[in-house]
Amino acid sequence: MIAEAPIARPEETGSPMAAVVLLGDLDALIREVGNPACRARLRKLGFELEESARLAAARGRMIEVMERRWLLAYERAFHRYGRAVVPVRDRVCSGCFVTLPTVARPRAAAQTLHVCQSCGRILYWT
Amino acid sequence: MSDVATAPGHDLALCISDLKARKKDQALAEMAAAAGGAGFVTDAPLLTEFLRLRERLGVTAIGKGVAIPHARSTTVYLPRLVIARSPRGIDWSARDGALVQLVILVLSPGEWSEESHHGWLARASSLARLQRNRQKLVGASTPAAASVIIREALS
Repeated sequence: MIAEAPIARPEETGSPMAAVVLLGDLDALIREVGNPACRARLRKLGFELEESARLAAARGRMIEVMERRWLLAYERAFHRYGRAVVPVRDRVCSGCFVTLPTVARPRAAAQTLHVCQSCGRILYWT
Repeated sequence: MSDVATAPGHDLALCISDLKARKKDQALAEMAAAAGGAGFVTDAPLLTEFLRLRERLGVTAIGKGVAIPHARSTTVYLPRLVIARSPRGIDWSARDGALVQLVILVLSPGEWSEESHHGWLARASSLARLQRNRQKLVGASTPAAASVIIREALS
């Protein structure tokens, strides 16, 4: 039986960026366990997997309280690429590998919706 | 092992000799915080939330006192392992009912493919699959000793 500890709501994770990063990771996990080949590999490694309905429910609760413009930007990139939030590594978008302008980093990166001008993915400044 | 140390000569793993946590969620938070402190995770609380979500999908305890929580997350900067011991054991809801004394947290960057992540996970789980490896890791007295075991198992 899985412990049912409450999952933090997006506003508790600290920022809109944190919420969208968590949503991106959760969507990747849902897609992973929805793939029969992935499930088989994980089972082979010894992991028991239940249905992803609980994760889908957690996702539903997360998007209920997300800011609309963040969610729209997320959904747009998600449907186009599958992975909507990408980290910026050395000023390069790790989604399309375009080098970002020197002044691209917003001052309050955790609060600012910043999408790559080249590919449209949400940029996560690390 | 010292409290928290990167195993010398093998920076793929971070070792925590004695988890302070007594519960699963606390253990995940402690290990994520250690990873954040070592600089290969950008947001430890967020990673902890994700690990808790992953546990909802199914427990990551694989039996025989071992748990292998894992995450492929945007918050992870570099692929790394965090290996922690809990001499008194943690209830991880394992199928065999055994308390978990060895936790291997497997972290992959979010941009990795599922196949790459599973490959890394398979290599990490090979660490715990052999009884002699498990015993050596639980009994390792220094990060150097843990390093040798990790290097052998991952090579």
